[in-house]
Amino acid sequence: MIAGTAATGTTTTGTMTTATAARVVDAVKVYGRGDTRVRALDGVSVGFPAGRFTAIMGPSGSGKSTLMHCAAGLDTLTSGSALIGDTDLSTLDDRGLTLLRRERVGFVFQAFNLIPTLTVAENITLPMDLAGAARDDEWYDALIDVVGLRDRLHHRPGELSGGQQQRVAVARAFAGSPDVVFADEPTGNLDSRSGEEVLRLLSGTVRRTNRTVVMVTHDPVAAAHADEVVFLADGRLVDRMTDPTAERVLDRLKAFDTRTTSGPLPPEPRS
Amino acid sequence: MSGTRTSLRISVSSLRAHKRRFAGTFTAVLLGVAFLTGTLVMGDTLRGSFDTLFGDAAGGTDAVVRSANVVTVPGDTQGTREPVDTALIEKIGRTPGVAAVAPRIEGAGQLVGSDGKPVGGQGPPTLAGNWIDDARLNPYRLAAGRLPSRTGEVVLNRGAAEAGKLSIGDTTVLRTPEPVRVTVVGLATFGGEDGMGQVTYTGMTRADAEKYLTAKPGRAASIQVRAGPGTSQRELVDSLRTVLPSGVEAITGQRSADENREMISGQFLSLFTTLLLVFSGIVLLVATFSIHNTFAIVVAQRTRENALLRALGATKRQVVGATLAEAGVVALVASAAGLLGGIGIAAGMRALFPVIGFPFPEGPLVISALSMLLPLAVGVVVCLGSALLPAVRAGRTAPLAALRETAVDDSGASRTRAVVGTALGLAGTAAIVTGVFAAPSLVLAAAGAVLALAAFVVLGPVASSVAVRFLGGPLDRLRGVSGALAKRNALRSPRRTAATATALMIGVAVVSLFTVFGASLKATMDQTVSRSFAGDLAVSVPAFGGGGSGLSPGLAPALAELPEVGSAVGLGRGVAEVDGDGRQLTVTDPPALAEGFDLGSVDGSFDGFGNRGIAVSRAQADDRNLRVGDTTRLTFTDGGKETFTVRAVYERSELAGDYVITRAAWAPHRTQDADTLVSVTFADGVPAAEAGAAVEKTAAAFGNPDVQTREEYARTSAGAIDMMLTLIYALLALAVLIALLGIANTLTLAVHERTGELGLLRAVGQTRAQLRAMVRWESVLVAAFGTAGGLALGGLLGWVVVEASEGAGDTAFAFALPPAQLALVGVVGLTAGAIAGWRPARRAARLDVLRAIATE
Repeated sequence: MIAGTAATGTTTTGTMTTATAARVVDAVKVYGRGDTRVRALDGVSVGFPAGRFTAIMGPSGSGKSTLMHCAAGLDTLTSGSALIGDTDLSTLDDRGLTLLRRERVGFVFQAFNLIPTLTVAENITLPMDLAGAARDDEWYDALIDVVGLRDRLHHRPGELSGGQQQRVAVARAFAGSPDVVFADEPTGNLDSRSGEEVLRLLSGTVRRTNRTVVMVTHDPVAAAHADEVVFLADGRLVDRMTDPTAERVLDRLKAFDTRTTSGPLPPEPRS
Repeated sequence: MSGTRTSLRISVSSLRAHKRRFAGTFTAVLLGVAFLTGTLVMGDTLRGSFDTLFGDAAGGTDAVVRSANVVTVPGDTQGTREPVDTALIEKIGRTPGVAAVAPRIEGAGQLVGSDGKPVGGQGPPTLAGNWIDDARLNPYRLAAGRLPSRTGEVVLNRGAAEAGKLSIGDTTVLRTPEPVRVTVVGLATFGGEDGMGQVTYTGMTRADAEKYLTAKPGRAASIQVRAGPGTSQRELVDSLRTVLPSGVEAITGQRSADENREMISGQFLSLFTTLLLVFSGIVLLVATFSIHNTFAIVVAQRTRENALLRALGATKRQVVGATLAEAGVVALVASAAGLLGGIGIAAGMRALFPVIGFPFPEGPLVISALSMLLPLAVGVVVCLGSALLPAVRAGRTAPLAALRETAVDDSGASRTRAVVGTALGLAGTAAIVTGVFAAPSLVLAAAGAVLALAAFVVLGPVASSVAVRFLGGPLDRLRGVSGALAKRNALRSPRRTAATATALMIGVAVVSLFTVFGASLKATMDQTVSRSFAGDLAVSVPAFGGGGSGLSPGLAPALAELPEVGSAVGLGRGVAEVDGDGRQLTVTDPPALAEGFDLGSVDGSFDGFGNRGIAVSRAQADDRNLRVGDTTRLTFTDGGKETFTVRAVYERSELAGDYVITRAAWAPHRTQDADTLVSVTFADGVPAAEAGAAVEKTAAAFGNPDVQTREEYARTSAGAIDMMLTLIYALLALAVLIALLGIANTLTLAVHERTGELGLLRAVGQTRAQLRAMVRWESVLVAAFGTAGGLALGGLLGWVVVEASEGAGDTAFAFALPPAQLALVGVVGLTAGAIAGWRPARRAARLDVLRAIATE
């Protein structure tokens, strides 16, 4: 599934061929009409390489969440195309998108991440249960150990701390061995220590098991855990940074601020 | 006060923002109020129609002269009145102030239609009488043809002629109950209409009427008198009184009309409207639960909003006020719509009833102030009352709650609840056991039943977790993770699940109560017939209410003469006062009675009664301390008092009645003779088919009565119960509908509350179909809980009613649980649950995933 064969889907770096797990090409997303018309994405083309942890950053309103939603098949582009592996999402109907999400994509959200009526174990296997698929016991076992929740498997989410809940969400996202996991501000609701744990879990899983993660965040410390950071502003891709550190990311963001005169990164407005 | 205005403004704007949430409440109030209004308007309308009808019937009659002797038996308010001597007419005619006078000779007369089937008889009277020539004394007018002038000629009211497909020139049979061949020579109208409601009327010559409708010539049911100019009804009656012999009375035309109306209103109408009011009550009770639940959920969902208001300085009173004001606005708007709906229902029913064969007179809709104000008040009170507790809870919201995560009502069952519920249940059980077994009492048993109902309602949340877990057991396996999610969602808030299910439980309980009660009645009737009826064939005329004419007393002797028949006995009916109490008598041939019916154990003998012998049922004999050989005094309608000797005391009175005398003893006192049932026993060795054919042939000449085997007879006897049950089911359907709207509403609110969760499920790969199934199954589970509780409660209540009636009365009452019908009720409940979940499921599936995730 992961191997992309199209010429545009692979980049050759030295002897290693890296496929893109997900990408968007000339992505345009327009909200509203007339006076309230907003170009949330204004011709973005970006690929997320397989086996890498990529962070998407940008000031609020830069289109980073929209980019993630469109790339993950939660939202549709106005024009341009979004692909998971070789599958063009615009060719799928609602059912097709649902099955794609179920089988090839994992999600970690900021809030509402777990089903309160299901136990930890049931939450983790939820996508597979929905698909009626048998779970890969070895992978599941390994995952439980990585997440470190073996003693909590039969608890309800309400009995866990916020950090533990988010770790369960991470386990769920990886449980079905998806091509790519999208994380939307996964540490937004957590204290810094719990956030740090979740981020280490994400990056650790990527490195150890060669998974792909795309994370949207506005927190430079969180972005520093990624292999690469892509910067968005006003719906355009403005920069990429490999091997980021919190300081470098912060500096880069400050550059936007001086240019755009906006304040120091307000919290995301809710739609 | 500006605070109040603020409350009102807040509630109005919140109503506007959440119109959908209150759709269920609105509908529940609307339907409840509409049902109540419809009942009241229809009651008034019917009463008004009957008033007009009897006013028209009394028309120009200023005074009625009749016998003062009347015997009233329990259950018949009008009683049986002795006919009056028509020789009085001459004397009355000479009385000053009298302009016209005419005898009214009237009796039962059922027409046989052109298809050989009897016309009417299912409720309203089937009457025959002499055609009265004085136009003001006769409410009927000749509309076509001519008046009867020779024997055998009759005028029919147009409605009866149409129902029997008879036209002028046709010849048919009139059962008086003696079959009389009549030729239709004219058609009549009543007050411009085709008839007096659905009453059938056959007008004949006075000679024919005297011959067929009275036992003795020279008698009439009453004498109608019209006053001359300048004489009032009162004055006319006063002057008549001076000339009438003792035992004959005169009453004003007005009073006569009032008495007739009283009979209808008193017996039939009040029963009918009471029944409907009881069902309105049930509907409103169910609505109360639905409404309460909606407000409880809305308040829980709005905890944050209310907390914010409190934090911003709103007083407790203002928060309570805002919630109540919201309920008030919903109540007023919904009740007003309900009033309109109710008038619509009444109008619709009025139009519908004649079509489906319910005989109601026509007339304009009567909309009184009471039938508008009462439902409006009830609607507002029910709605405000239901919202009161949730409103108080809203007022208690701590300002701090604004800072917490969205609070969701997931309160479970408290200990107090379990204790109170168990106590209620125990008290109810004790009352039921005492009322049924120890000291039979309907009141005590009913009190127990009410306590049991209360226990069910209180224990609902305690039971709901266990019940849902049990009922939803197979779901995990059958429906995978969506089924498991459905089950857990239903388990989330036991109190909410229980409150939602309670409305359905009450509806289903009442339905099953009537199902069980009806089945028991049928079983009882079946038992009665198979126990007491010893003959091979039953000959009867299907009729109830004032309709039908019964069977000719000549039928039984005619059948007995057939070579294929061993014996045939007819049961005639008479009335007399037994030691001062009006009682129905069975007039028959006692030795044959003992053969055609199984009377159980008998003391004494049915042979050799003579003219002064009487047989008494054991229950009545015990009441009156009568034994074989004792004497009792009977007073007949003609004033005759005679002493009878008890010759036999028998056990079973269901078909034979409580008092049996011979035809010879009854003959001098009879009015119009009719048998209600003839039991035929075949001669030995004659094949049933052959004997049956012979009986049918002979019976056909007597106006074509029903000839049925024992089983058929038992089945038809129970047929009326099915009809009653159908009507009751139709009425209860509304209560069940409201309960289902409640489920739908709760689910809609739950879907709204779980938006984020549903979005997550969709995001991680739940298909729309799976999501729909999940919501639907939750609905089915809640419905299953309500239905199961309702079936149990209804079965229990049915049992209590049946057993307590048997204990309290002296008639045997069999208890029967109809498994097929109850299973059907269960299936309907579950299916309805699936339907209730349909819309919320669709709404949930339509959720935009992104929006759902973003919404908090």
